[in-house]
Amino acid sequence: MCWKQIHGIIFNQSTFLRINMINSDPFCKSTSGTGITLFGTATLLQACGGGGGGGGGGNTESTSNNSAASPPNNSMLANNEAARFLQHAQFSSTEAEISAVKSQGAASWLDSQMTLNSSTGGYDWLMQRGYGVIDKNKFYEMEYPSNYMAWYQIMAAPDGVRRRMALALSEFFVVGGAGISTISWSMFAMGAYWDVLCKNAFGNFRTLLEDITLNIAMGEYLNTLGNQKEDAKSGRLPDENYAREVMQLFTIGLLQLNIDGTPKMGGNGQPLETFTQSDVSNLARVFTGYESDNSLGYSQSAEAPTYTLRNVGYTRRPMVLNANLHSTLRADFLGASIPAGTDGKNALKIALDTLFNHANVGPFFGRQMIQRLVCSNPSTAYVARVAEVFNNNGKGVRGDLAAVFKAIVLDTEATSTSGLTSTTFGKLREPMVRTAQWARTFKATSLKGTWKIGNPNYSAVDALGQSPLQAPSVFNFFRPGYVPPSTAMAYIKATAPEFQLVNESTTASYINYLQNFLVNGMWVRAPELITSPDTPTPTDGPDIVPDYSAELAMVGNPSDLINRLNLLLCAGQLSAETVSMMVNALSHDQTNSASTNNAKRSYVAKAIMFVMCCSEYLVQK
Amino acid sequence: MNNPNCDLSNSQPSRRDFLRRTGQTALTGLAAPWLLNMTAMGEAAAFTATDYKALVCVFLFGGNDYANTVVAYDDTSYAKYAAIRAAGSGDTNGMVLDKAALTNTLLKPTTPLPDGRQYALNPAMSGLANLFNTGKAAVQLNVGPLVVPLTRAQYNTSDRAKYPLPPKLFSHNDQQSVWQSSSPEGSTIGWGGKMGDLSLSNNSDSLFTCISLSGNNVMLSGDSALQYQCSTSGAIAVRNLSDGFFYQTPMRDAFASMLQQPRKHVLENEYNAVMKRGLTAQAKVAQGLSTVNLRTAFPAGSSLANQLKMVAQLIGARSSLGAKRQVFMVSLGGFDLHDYLNTKHAPLLQQVDGALTAFYQATVELGVANQVTAFTASDFGRTLASNGDGSDHGWGSHHLMVGGAVKGAAFYGSAPPLSVSDSSAPEDQWHVGQGRLLPSTSVDQYAATLARWFGVADTDMGILLPNIKNFGASAGRSDYPLNLGFML
Repeated sequence: MCWKQIHGIIFNQSTFLRINMINSDPFCKSTSGTGITLFGTATLLQACGGGGGGGGGGNTESTSNNSAASPPNNSMLANNEAARFLQHAQFSSTEAEISAVKSQGAASWLDSQMTLNSSTGGYDWLMQRGYGVIDKNKFYEMEYPSNYMAWYQIMAAPDGVRRRMALALSEFFVVGGAGISTISWSMFAMGAYWDVLCKNAFGNFRTLLEDITLNIAMGEYLNTLGNQKEDAKSGRLPDENYAREVMQLFTIGLLQLNIDGTPKMGGNGQPLETFTQSDVSNLARVFTGYESDNSLGYSQSAEAPTYTLRNVGYTRRPMVLNANLHSTLRADFLGASIPAGTDGKNALKIALDTLFNHANVGPFFGRQMIQRLVCSNPSTAYVARVAEVFNNNGKGVRGDLAAVFKAIVLDTEATSTSGLTSTTFGKLREPMVRTAQWARTFKATSLKGTWKIGNPNYSAVDALGQSPLQAPSVFNFFRPGYVPPSTAMAYIKATAPEFQLVNESTTASYINYLQNFLVNGMWVRAPELITSPDTPTPTDGPDIVPDYSAELAMVGNPSDLINRLNLLLCAGQLSAETVSMMVNALSHDQTNSASTNNAKRSYVAKAIMFVMCCSEYLVQK
Repeated sequence: MNNPNCDLSNSQPSRRDFLRRTGQTALTGLAAPWLLNMTAMGEAAAFTATDYKALVCVFLFGGNDYANTVVAYDDTSYAKYAAIRAAGSGDTNGMVLDKAALTNTLLKPTTPLPDGRQYALNPAMSGLANLFNTGKAAVQLNVGPLVVPLTRAQYNTSDRAKYPLPPKLFSHNDQQSVWQSSSPEGSTIGWGGKMGDLSLSNNSDSLFTCISLSGNNVMLSGDSALQYQCSTSGAIAVRNLSDGFFYQTPMRDAFASMLQQPRKHVLENEYNAVMKRGLTAQAKVAQGLSTVNLRTAFPAGSSLANQLKMVAQLIGARSSLGAKRQVFMVSLGGFDLHDYLNTKHAPLLQQVDGALTAFYQATVELGVANQVTAFTASDFGRTLASNGDGSDHGWGSHHLMVGGAVKGAAFYGSAPPLSVSDSSAPEDQWHVGQGRLLPSTSVDQYAATLARWFGVADTDMGILLPNIKNFGASAGRSDYPLNLGFML
């Protein structure tokens, strides 16, 4: 679309509110009684429909009106709405995608995205780059190239919706790459784990649960791999790690839940727990006897002393059952019973069916997926609507993930404009998702195709605070129930998981992190190599580079540029006042179309820096 | 807006505390009507300090295996330990530490334990063994969360009203939270933060009361005391506020102003509040650290050592920062050894040993050895029984206290018998299955002993520790004393 059509029209938040006020927003009601009111009454009446153009813009304090009270441009509103939807459903919103959503409608566009075949997966990508060979590099002992794979997947893999959902799933069925470095070909194991998530993202939860249970990376991470049955003589008992975490984190959680995600209360006014230690110890018997599938054979490692190495394909084969090591004791858990002597395959089926069919799964899983995609503290009604879709997709099927994701991003709570004026709705954009958004918005590419982006947290000074598939533990980067202490959120008991990463160090280091690459792209050592030498080489330099051509054409035209970034990066959610501030700030830079390329790139980078460090961008609505 | 996992019974802030905090952050120029609805909390008297003291919590994430950390050494006990842990699994050799290897780290308390019981530290911990034997470190045996004192029979009863259990036992995230705050995950106030609340009036900048080197943890969050994050590289500066990136000063100023702007949206506002706090503090911290020249060598390449080194430097800067009472938190992860115990545990304990020993030396160099006390904590101990090559989630554990003010060369608490059976024999009353220790000392007592040394009045312990009222003489349980006696 032609940006000149909206050039010069300043989006006026107050008039927007006047036309689009939604009465269901508690913050637009009178100040008496319920809810937390952060506006004074006078401001509220102005914002919610009283008076003329005197209302301040959006969420700022100012009551001055920086612009004429011009009518909102319907085209701009439609663009914002489309971009907002895109930023919920995937990582970014390009002009072309905004256009497509507007013409097809969000639901239909989403359907078509969900029918696309999955693009090159993690395992294949690593193989294509040449990591599957046995040579002096000893790739079979390296885990860190899985970082290159993961960053590529979220920054550039073509099917953004599927990848977005897979990333959300990776924060639920967590495997942290650094925790599996003990198995051979661990980078491929991470690739295969990612592929399980991608393959099942629009499939069924029950299938995903089984695939994840038998996945070798998960098997290593939570100790199903090599777990043996009890041995009465020595007193050895099965490892309980997976049994506990599959219940606590991957299916039912710790408390019994109503469909709306609230805990069920017992007679004594205390919440009811879902499982006991006994359930864990019994369920642990099911996950015994599992070993790697070695049917693809072995090779010799490189370099003396050599050892026998499984061939790399084992990493994407489900674990196999060794009946001799599988416990055949009776197992009672969660009201289900596995008779003594049951074979492993049937035992697994009973166990996973029991977990899958537990009433908790819909609200437990649903609420966390809402948190990953739309907002940190969804209403109980929103959770209930999504959980109901999990329970039945409308065609009698339980666990339809495509239906669940659609329900989440198309729900009225996600799309309603009341979310844009609420003082509590939304979520802090996850740091790694901001990076993915930058890459996709500006069509970043790795010039040499190696995508050697490592874990950006080695130095506290410019740490991002997150890296895909590298959560510090199975509890993910942050907890779904995290309530930031000593904050307004704590007072209103609102969960805000991403704030677990926010502190005096990370707020500063994020800005330093951005500064490292906004101008020229991400610097890489020896980008033409799939390995990284320890010492500098002549080819060291920027390799993951953005395409700023549209933005470069706006150099010297700060209003165009800021408005463009406002739409593409935050769906128009910067207030008029903030836009005005940024335009003014950028105007001090005299760079224009005749300046050097370097100067022009710096100009664009400064504009992006402003937007991507603004709290109105950082908190996504 | 219900938070399913949140028990907020101990986290109702007081109006005065909120006002005090908002005064410090000076961010909300707005009327904040929600403050008016808050019920006033009974304000405890803050205490006054003339000297300097610091507590350092060393949190071992994942649940440290007690049995291979403080290892049974006397012949009878060692034999039982070895028998229980010898369950091999094919190509691993079980989890038994060789007795001969333990001689070097044998602990020699001034007063021997009853019944000839002896312990040695894991062979990787020679530095701490030496500190113990020279009176600068002590061991607290079998400590863990308890709401009320419990026997195994009481644990097994279903009368939870009379014998309540700590919430969500054996769950990592919840037990981390329970250790730090007496409440499960979702809790917003910890006892370290509460100690900060009661002492921050002694500090010229209250922001430097509770300092974390290891991310956001509830331990150091108080009502007024905010947890301040410092990194192992010091306070992080935002480069583009002082370098050439923005080039034009008005642009840089506009950016700086935007970063710290008060906002009506609660999430936006909180983000900017943290940013602003960090920017304000950074200059002070940088200035303070520049006055410190620490010569003590810390082990290289160790996250925990890097954290403790920065803590030592910050303590060195205490005059510059105007601090008299501080609580620090550092941590190390990786202790959840369901497998690979015999290969992964020792390197972790070596990190703990090297870092804590160097830290103690640094406090000697700074002249504050008697004024700084470090103590370990963890989600839980683990099973004594083996799953083949590791142990599973447990409860009570043995922990270490290090510092010149610690009454070292001593054990505190009761040495548990070594057994994993479910019989009615006496040796099976100390665990709740598989050798998961039933704590004979509560975290509340452990914390209260540290807090008392720090300056908290006995009558104010209930503010930090809601369950403390169930222990001690006034509860009729002098067998669970509020003062464990390990501080001078």
